[in-house]
Order: sequence, then C-alpha cells, then structure tokens
Amino acid sequence: MRIGRINTLTFAGLLGLTLTVAEAGNASSSNAPTTAVAQSSATTGTASDTMRQELDQLKRQMQAIQDRIQELEKPPAEKPAAEPARPATGPGGTTPRPEQPPAVPTAPSPAYGNILPGVRLGGYGSFRFEGSSLKDVNDTFTYRRLVLSVDANIAERLRSGIEIELERFTQLELARTTSPSNGGLGVEQGIGGSDDSELSVEQAWLEYELEPWLRFQGGMVLVPMGRFNLHHDDNLWDLPRRSLIDTGIPVLPIKAAWSEVGMGFVGDIPAGPGTLSYHLYAMNGATLDTELETIFQTRTDDRNVIEMEAKLQPVRGTANIDLKNGKAFAGRVAYNLVPDYELGLSGYYGRYTPQFLSSQLLWAFGVDGKATFGALEVQAEYIYTHFSNISKVANSLAQVAFTQAAAIPATASPDLEVELRFELAQLATVKNGYWLNLRYPVSPDWLRNSILGRRFANPQLIPVVRWEQAWLNGLLSNLSFENGVVTELERQNRFVDRITVGLAYRPVPLVVFQLAYEYTWTNHGKSLADVTNFLPAQPGENTASAVLVGVAFGF
Amino acid sequence: MGMWSRRRFLNVLMVVGTSLIPRSLWAQAGSFLTLDEAPHAVFPEGTSVEQRHVPSTPQLREAIMGDLGSTKPSLWEPDYVLFTVHRDGNLLGYAVVVEEIGKHRPITFVVGVRPDGVVQDVALMVYREPYGGEVRAPRFLAQYRGKNLTASLLPFRDIRNITGATLSAEAIGRGVRKALALLRTLSLTGGKPS
Repeated sequence: MRIGRINTLTFAGLLGLTLTVAEAGNASSSNAPTTAVAQSSATTGTASDTMRQELDQLKRQMQAIQDRIQELEKPPAEKPAAEPARPATGPGGTTPRPEQPPAVPTAPSPAYGNILPGVRLGGYGSFRFEGSSLKDVNDTFTYRRLVLSVDANIAERLRSGIEIELERFTQLELARTTSPSNGGLGVEQGIGGSDDSELSVEQAWLEYELEPWLRFQGGMVLVPMGRFNLHHDDNLWDLPRRSLIDTGIPVLPIKAAWSEVGMGFVGDIPAGPGTLSYHLYAMNGATLDTELETIFQTRTDDRNVIEMEAKLQPVRGTANIDLKNGKAFAGRVAYNLVPDYELGLSGYYGRYTPQFLSSQLLWAFGVDGKATFGALEVQAEYIYTHFSNISKVANSLAQVAFTQAAAIPATASPDLEVELRFELAQLATVKNGYWLNLRYPVSPDWLRNSILGRRFANPQLIPVVRWEQAWLNGLLSNLSFENGVVTELERQNRFVDRITVGLAYRPVPLVVFQLAYEYTWTNHGKSLADVTNFLPAQPGENTASAVLVGVAFGF
Repeated sequence: MGMWSRRRFLNVLMVVGTSLIPRSLWAQAGSFLTLDEAPHAVFPEGTSVEQRHVPSTPQLREAIMGDLGSTKPSLWEPDYVLFTVHRDGNLLGYAVVVEEIGKHRPITFVVGVRPDGVVQDVALMVYREPYGGEVRAPRFLAQYRGKNLTASLLPFRDIRNITGATLSAEAIGRGVRKALALLRTLSLTGGKPS
C-alpha cells in the first residue's frame, strides 16, 4: 500500500513537472511568431521569468513530495504519536482529561469541500428463474436486464447522468455480402439477435444548478410519473418482477422505465419540517408509432403465409424530429418528511397522435407515497391514464390508410398468402390501477452469525407482500376498416389483479436475493395474454401462478 | 389588462416569488458547510472553538478499529480535523470531521460529541452522490442525537431508514461511530476503549 502511494505521489510530481514545462514551452512558442523583433527580448525575458518562477514552484513541490515520501517510509513507530496527553486544565474545573498534544497542523483532506471526485461508473443487473402454471410458458431462466450508468460531476454546478440498458439483450449480428451471382449482382443481408430484447438509452441528461431550488435538466430524462418510474432500478425492489401498472399492463402511458427527450427544472425546497421536491419538464412525449411485425408461417391445411403487420401503439417519443406538432408536459411534486413519509402527485399532458392523424390528447395523473411504521415500510402508487377519442383516432387511421389489409388472392398465389395489415394496439379510453407494497426488514443476530450473513455489517431478511389491481376501460380489442371507413370497432372492459408474497435477503443494500410466489387473474373466460405483455396465455387461460427466484445487484 | 401592465405584473410576481424563496435550500449534491462553520453547526451555543489536526497513524487506526467491533469504516482520512468547543470557558464537547463512502463517493460530515461520549448532533458538510441526499434532513440526522458507541447506528436496527438512501444512511452511521471511537481512543470522551 505504501509503495503504491509513493508511486502515486512520484507519478503526480512527474506529471505535474511534465505538464508545467510543456505549458511553459507552449506559452513561449506560441508567443514567438506573433511578437515583433523589437519586443522579442522583453517577451523572452517575461517568459524566462515565468519559467523560472514555475521551476521554483516545482522545486518546492518536489521537495514537499520528497518530504512526504520520507515521512511515509519511516517505520510506524517514528510517526507522530496518537497517544493522548493531558491538557493543562479541564472543563469547568473538573478533573483534567487526557488529551493529545496539538499536532502540527496539516492541510485538510483534499476531499473536504470538494464535490468533484470525477466520473463514476455504476449500474445494476437482474436475472430470475420462473416456473409458471401457464401452458405455453416453460420453466425458464430470464436475464432481465443489465444497465450501465455513468454519473459525472463535470464542474461545481454541472452534472450529467447516463444509463444504457440492455434488456434481455445478448447479441445483435449483422451480416452482409455484395457479390456477382447468376450473371447479375447479388446483395445478401441478414440480421440476427436475441429475441424480445432491447438496447436502449434510458437516461442521458445534463443538470445545471442555477440555484439549489432551481436546477435545469435537459436531455433524455425520466418522465416523473409515479414513484416507480423514478426509482425503477431492479435492485431497489424486493420482488423479482416489476409492478403491473408500471410495466406488465401497463397503465402508465409507456411502460417503465419511461424516458423522453426534453428539458425542464427540478429542485428541492425546505417546507416546514420536510422538503418539497419537484420535477417539471417539457418533452416530445408519448406518441402512436409503428411497430412492424413480419410473420412467416408454414401450414399444412392452408396456404403458407407471409404477413406484415404495422401496429400503431403508444411508444415513447422520438429522439429525432417530433412526429407531432405539440409538446407534452409532465411534472411531479412530492412532500418528503424524511425518513418516515413521502407523498407525491404527478401529472402528464400532451398529444398522443402523430401529425397525420387527428389531434387527440393523452393525460394522466398519479398519486404515490411511502410511510414507515416502525420496521414496516409501506409504498403505494396509483396511476390514471386517459386516451381521448380513440374512435376518432380509428376513423382518422382508416381515412389515411384507406385499406386496412391487402392480400394476394389464392388464384394468383395458390401456395403462398401475402398479407399487409394495419392495427391499433394497447389503447384504452381509461387505464387505471395501483400497487401496494409492504415490506418488513429485519436484521436478527442469528442472521449475522449464520452462513448467509457472516462478515456483512447489516444483512436483512425482508418479508414482502405486493397487492395490485388494474382496470382497462374501453380497451380497443378489434378494429376493422375498409375503403377509408371503420366497419368494426370492438371495445371491452377488463381487469387484472395480482398478489405476490415473497422473501428477500439483502447481504448489503445493493444486492438482493428474491423468492416469490405470484398469482394473477383476469376476467373469467378471457385470456391474460390480451391484457398483459408478459404472460403468453392461451385463449381462455385467465389465471396464472408462478414461482420466481431472482437476484438483483447494483454496483 | 394591456400588454405592458401584464408584463409588469409578471415581473413583479417573479421578483416577489424569488425573494420569498430562502437562499439556503436543498440539493442532492453540494457543499453545505465550510470547515469553519462545521463546529457551530453541531454546537451552536459554543463561544470559542479550537481547531487542530490529528494525524491518522497506523496505531490510531488500529485502536479505532479495535473499538468499533464489526463496524468497518473507511479510515482513509490522512488526518482528522478536530474542534474543541467551549462556552464561556466550559467544555461543551468535540466536533470531528469525518468522511465515509456512500455508494460511490465520499460523504463529508461533522459529528458533535459531548464529553461523556454521547452524540450531540450531526451535520452534513459535503454530499457528492446524485441520489440519497435526503440523509441531510434534520429529521433524519436527529436520530443520532443521544447515541453512543453501544448503538449500532444501522438502518432497520436503531436508525429509521430512508428508502432509496440506505447506503448513505449506513455511511452516516459508520462515520458517527468512527468519530465516537476516535474521541474515545484519544481519551477525550468518557468510557474506556473496549
């Protein structure tokens, strides 16, 4: 350790010498071409003086470094003694207390007062094993996500945060060849990658602190809707699956982690015994955008099929030119009575249709909070989302697309069916729901002495229960149009409930081992697949139970 | 209301609104106390302060670690800034500046300790993490008042945790215990090193 420190100091000294000499050289050389001959001697003299002063300063710095090295090389017994000595007088005439003699004053640690220890790399990851009752779900290991984050204190009042997410992402391969073939020129391109995966920039923002209560933030920022979206790191939660309303249904306009390109202000203001914190942003905002699905299917009793389906569904706004002429606004205000209570109110308002469809509004609000009662921690979130005039959007789409589906008739293509199709998906007039999470962390002595908790300062066992309900009213389930006119528009009201009980073990706050059982159900006779994005249930399969074993870690 | 009067109204509103907001407000990262202000933050009634630096020698670190048991603080300070605080000639206690790692970055804070080895108060000087700055809240730091080295000062045991700031809460506890052990090792406060 000592050698390493000496090397560091020596290196720092040499680096300083090199940089300073280089700067001096640069300064004199940059002066030379622009200085008149008559002034050259004076300039040279000034540069020499500057160099001499810097060299003197360097000598002093080197001497200080040498002194420090010699001090570090001394055997421990020769270092300044820490043994206390008695002061001349005690407080208030009491018996004098033993006290150390005043040490030679040294400079305070460089860290004092300095908030710029540079750039930090962090992140979190999570995976789980799942055994499900659903017929089409095999017992499986799932690599949920790996998120790499960087936060940088760029300057005293300038900070930046970046999060890159790899969700179920393992690989992306691109192969392309261009070569003559069969008397012409052939181009082959193949794209391969892990299924149902995502590579995403989740956050990339700059913060400029104008005042502590007024901090500008711009870039890719988290939309401040509800507490989960703002605190979505997997290792912060004790259960190995995210909540329904934030991810699995979702009721949140866009599933967590929902981020948008925009700018706004955040701040914290003392208010009474607590703190009022706020986020307020303008952003491109959620919009209906196209997801293109290509399906190849061979069939024994019908024509083989190639189907291309363009699904218009709400997604986070583009990072390119906005698809709509209207910005969205989102904000959250929270009153925090540390460490016991927090109550947050959030809202979102913006157009959700692209410019080529009729202008319609999406608005949402949320209430969330946490409370502590002894060791019991309660967190909850409620979200209400309204997509206005879905039928008008459907009519508008019909008018623009004119034809919903086009297929090559069997007479022209007896072996292969080719179909193009437009769909509207994941739209409901009202989506609302909540989750309630109760956890009870305990850190018993036997745990610290057990094989699980040995050598950890504060390992915890956490029984946890989460109860969730979500309602989808006016859920668009079927849309047909032809020749620019809607011919069929089916909607339904659905609910999804889920109860999860679990036990988590945290050897340290950043790492959690999770065991959970969850039971999910929806309307009788309906499929869970229609209303969730993670349960591939068969038609009529309206319940699902699962055992989950997960691990999440942060660093 | 014409254009000019509306603008004037907005200007007045902005000036009034800005003037109503106090200057010393919250932020996550930031410097909140200077070294000179630190002892007064934990002993506001003190009338005289004496500052000195206690070099962190290997013997001192070993003695502190021995006194702390299972708590493992960073002990990276090259020296400890130690203030002795008096009021009208009477010793009120000591204020020690310590640092502990939160998640990635050090948290600098001052721990005020009475002569009997009991925490008088704790105040944050510098917080560098982007999240978890709630540990600066007086309601949270008040939990350390009256505690001594017999307390674990750990979340979920004798300290109420802040959800999302557990690492910072643990760091404050480690630092407070380090300060208590330092003063006891130096025999400045009551009790004998165990």
